[in-house]
Amino acid sequence: MKNLNLAAIASLLVLAVSPIMYSLNANAADKETVNSVATLRDATPIDVQKEPNIIPKVINKDIKQGRNYPMQPPVIPHTTRSYEVNKNNNKCMSCHSRHRTEKSQAPMVSVTHYMDRDGNFLAEVSPRRYFCNQCHVTQLDAEPLVENTFVDMHTLMKQKTTSAKEH
Amino acid sequence: MTINRREFIKANAIAAAAAVAGVSVPAVASNLITSSDITKLKWDKAACRFCGTGCSVNVGVMDGKVVATHGDIKSPVNKGLSCVKGYFLSKIMYGKDRLTTPLLRMTNGKYDKEGEFTPISWDQAFNVMAEKANDALKKDGPEALGMFGSGQWTVQEGYAAVKLMKAGFRTNNIDPNARHCMASAVGGFMRTFGIDEPMGCYDDLEAADAFVLWGSNMAEMHPILWTRLTDRRLSAPHVKVAVLSTFEHRSFDLADNGMIFTPQTDLAILNYIANYIIQTGRVNKDFVSKHTNFRLGETDIGYGLRPEHPLEQKAKNNGKTKGSSTPIDFDEYAKFVSTYTVESVSKLSGVPEHKLKELAEMYADPKIKVTSFWTMGFNQHTRGVWANNLVYNIHLLTGKISTPGNSPFSLTGQPSACGTAREVGTFSHRLPADMVVKNPKHRAIAEKIWDLPEGTIPAKPGYHAVLQNRMLKDGKLNFYWVQCNNNMQAAANINEEAYPGYRNPKNFIVVSDPYPTVTAQAADLILPTAMWVEKEGMYGNAERRTQSWYQMVEAPEGAKSDMWQVVEFSKRFKVEDVWPEELIAKKPEVRGKTLFDVLYKDASVGKFPLSEIPEDRLNDESRDFGFYIQKGLFEEYASFGRGHAHDLAPYDRYHQERGLRWPVVDGKETKWRFKEGSDPYVKPGSDWDFYGHKDGRARIFALPYEPAAESPDEEYDLWLSTGRVLEHWHSGSMTQRVPELYKAMPDALVYMHPDDAKKRNMRRGDLVKLISRRGEVQTRVETRGRNKPPIGLVYMPWFDASRLVNKVTLDATDPLSKETDYKKCAIKIVKV
Amino acid sequence: MTQKHHKTPEYHVASLVASPILAQLDEVKAVITAVEGAEIHAVSDEGKIVFTVEGTGFKDLDKKIDIIRVHKGILNVSPVYHQVLDESGDDNAEEQYSEVTTKKE
Repeated sequence: MKNLNLAAIASLLVLAVSPIMYSLNANAADKETVNSVATLRDATPIDVQKEPNIIPKVINKDIKQGRNYPMQPPVIPHTTRSYEVNKNNNKCMSCHSRHRTEKSQAPMVSVTHYMDRDGNFLAEVSPRRYFCNQCHVTQLDAEPLVENTFVDMHTLMKQKTTSAKEH
Repeated sequence: MTINRREFIKANAIAAAAAVAGVSVPAVASNLITSSDITKLKWDKAACRFCGTGCSVNVGVMDGKVVATHGDIKSPVNKGLSCVKGYFLSKIMYGKDRLTTPLLRMTNGKYDKEGEFTPISWDQAFNVMAEKANDALKKDGPEALGMFGSGQWTVQEGYAAVKLMKAGFRTNNIDPNARHCMASAVGGFMRTFGIDEPMGCYDDLEAADAFVLWGSNMAEMHPILWTRLTDRRLSAPHVKVAVLSTFEHRSFDLADNGMIFTPQTDLAILNYIANYIIQTGRVNKDFVSKHTNFRLGETDIGYGLRPEHPLEQKAKNNGKTKGSSTPIDFDEYAKFVSTYTVESVSKLSGVPEHKLKELAEMYADPKIKVTSFWTMGFNQHTRGVWANNLVYNIHLLTGKISTPGNSPFSLTGQPSACGTAREVGTFSHRLPADMVVKNPKHRAIAEKIWDLPEGTIPAKPGYHAVLQNRMLKDGKLNFYWVQCNNNMQAAANINEEAYPGYRNPKNFIVVSDPYPTVTAQAADLILPTAMWVEKEGMYGNAERRTQSWYQMVEAPEGAKSDMWQVVEFSKRFKVEDVWPEELIAKKPEVRGKTLFDVLYKDASVGKFPLSEIPEDRLNDESRDFGFYIQKGLFEEYASFGRGHAHDLAPYDRYHQERGLRWPVVDGKETKWRFKEGSDPYVKPGSDWDFYGHKDGRARIFALPYEPAAESPDEEYDLWLSTGRVLEHWHSGSMTQRVPELYKAMPDALVYMHPDDAKKRNMRRGDLVKLISRRGEVQTRVETRGRNKPPIGLVYMPWFDASRLVNKVTLDATDPLSKETDYKKCAIKIVKV
Repeated sequence: MTQKHHKTPEYHVASLVASPILAQLDEVKAVITAVEGAEIHAVSDEGKIVFTVEGTGFKDLDKKIDIIRVHKGILNVSPVYHQVLDESGDDNAEEQYSEVTTKKE
């Protein structure tokens, strides 16, 4: 298998004559993970097939996951296998609708879901929000291939309040 | 991540103890910060980065980072909603492997096609690119240069690229990935109406009584339009929904009449409906006689494969005449479709007769307003242009067109397939505003607007997407620049064409991308690219709505936008490097100037000063080039269409609006084209005016059913259809890097009928190989879940970079549109 | 669920209120701060110290709290709150929004 990572690149660069290259080399070493290619393929060459991993299971712990920002639709913390959501039935609402949450102890769908296109409140969940799976998805027990460096606003605010206190 | 939970419970602990002690703790510990200077987010509008629906989203920025996104309540498209991808837009720019420096394949400090990717500076990158482009130019002329762009380019990026390739380098070898997606729709529009893009708009969704989905899984691919359709269906009980596909998918959840048909037989079903309308006497004779005429199209036109392929050898009319047609009258047309009876079509398609009749009646009943939607099922079809023509036939026979709710509606895949690829004309045969390079008058118009000498733009259409890969393999295309797409994952038959093409030692391949994609992996030089709100731009959606956004955050250091790359590269070439003496002689003042001067700075592109950019706005490209380049590119481009039924508003207005639907005439957008009262271009008194054709009439085409390029046989005994999924955008290069989206849909599985699995002694989760005549791919079997294929057909999505299903697919194309049929090829499946 | 056999990682946090002899307040504060994982968050007008101790288990916390409890300048230490976080995977989502924020939608 071809080695495409920066360790190899760094060793090649030692041979480079240009001084610019040396400085870039130093810079690149800090970014080892950043500039490695084919991250979603686990650095597998295009004409090679890595054995596909087994199908992960749906996370079914029923533990609420946090949101990245307040308006993010919460992910579904349980399996929805054989849940029927079609024009006749909506299985999700049998637990999450307003009048079922007392029995089910499931979170009630947000009030925004009772609003029509023009922002008027309806007695029932708006038909425009009818198919829950347009926005809400289950999570499989799979390790992400690439880390995401998104920083949520709360962390940023904390950093600011902390630094404000220090200065 | 755990840290955050720790902090949270720790704060709870502190609060409890503080209450006991009777003290107040600083705000930070009580976990609610209210100080407005700290909690303040800067909100701004942008078009969603993903599909052709063109939702508007609000983007929240704090400390130079995007921290939140949500649907824009003010947008008429989505009214505050987003789909699951849209809600996670905030995270697409923050994959840890963002590229930040150009990478060149090198050995011992020198470029080497077989070398390892090595960081270099931008200056070095442009040096090697210029050297390779000059080599190719000198050796084989402009035809050795090519570019593959995108329906995800902003309008300005596409326009800058077209100008550099067609006027600067004088090659028409530029094509967008929209070729894979919308080319058949374009062909259909041009043939039937003489002008591109839908006559209706999304307002049809709230006005229609019936919806028909033809090869469109809107529930997953256009989720927000699907929410509008669902809203209409469930709040108005008389509304009915018909869904046609070659396998059952999520859109069937709402179907009143769901139909699974044998691949390719949609052509026969369409003709049956026309026949039914005629047989039951429901032709709108007044409309038909005033606004249409009939034509008999050429048949047996081949399958767009390489000329030596047996299917092309066999085809009678795959030459120049394949798009031709001859006038016929109504009776001849009626006779032509009369063989498409309910019995014969039911037998051919596998759809029960009563379902076909119910569908046909929906169209035929003059009281029912019908909107038809289609996407890749029609467009990715070896008779894609025909399929588009045939659905227009039905709407034209009944006069159900261009009025609210009566709408044959071609949905777009990409966010700016309309705005950039089609309207700007980044295709190998096109120029802006529906003009074509073949037409000398069109070339003259472009040369005049560009202030370039006559003869600058070459007349011969360039290599289209599929041909580009073939020409790379054949060593005819040697300098190739790929921007804003992932064609090594997206193109069909990569095993036989794209991969050997990119790796052909004669070729130098440049790939611009924010992330290291499969295509980047196959490149020789990778350029790190700024994305989405890291730059100012515009997208045009499927209902002709053009939307703009400002740059909101800085790109990671080292990453540059596609437009910056194109324009900066143009500084490397003097006019005399690329133009012949006779051309320069026609305009001697260009001598000594760079392409940057001629195409951008000294052209009308360069006439808007930096002072027109609001001071508090970021705009890295403009401040680098010294003029408001996005505005300049847009205004010059817009001058092509103004006064020619493609009118766009002044640039600055788009920053105020949630988009406007062109033509924008006297400041007003147009909702329904070709209809008097709603379209200012319609001749007064004509009622309807299909002004794209000189006679003001739309064409009804007599076109037959013809079989698919490849069908299952004894050895390769299954149909393979490929496609997309809700959770990922196309090849997944952005969405696979969002943990929530990745975990929602990590792998591309092969969806099979349980009986097909059983017959092959397979169970859910088994490791299998999909094998075609061209290649193989491994994945695992899925026998349940959202897609339920019929016996004899399997479905595998193509978003998964680790399982390249396009090693298996066939690069057969519609000979008219050159768009690949990704929905039909023959494979076998074996256990590994 | 998990195939790993090592002990499940846990995070413990306890909050406490200490009542020191006022004359020795500064000395007591220094003692608390010196303990690894301990942190002072507030001191009331009467000199009550609000602090937290973080650690990896019950034993770990006890050991740390004992260092403080036995100091001669302290009259009393009242534990107020204790919570354990099971950190054995699956919690990779940024779960940090307070209820206040979540409910706002």
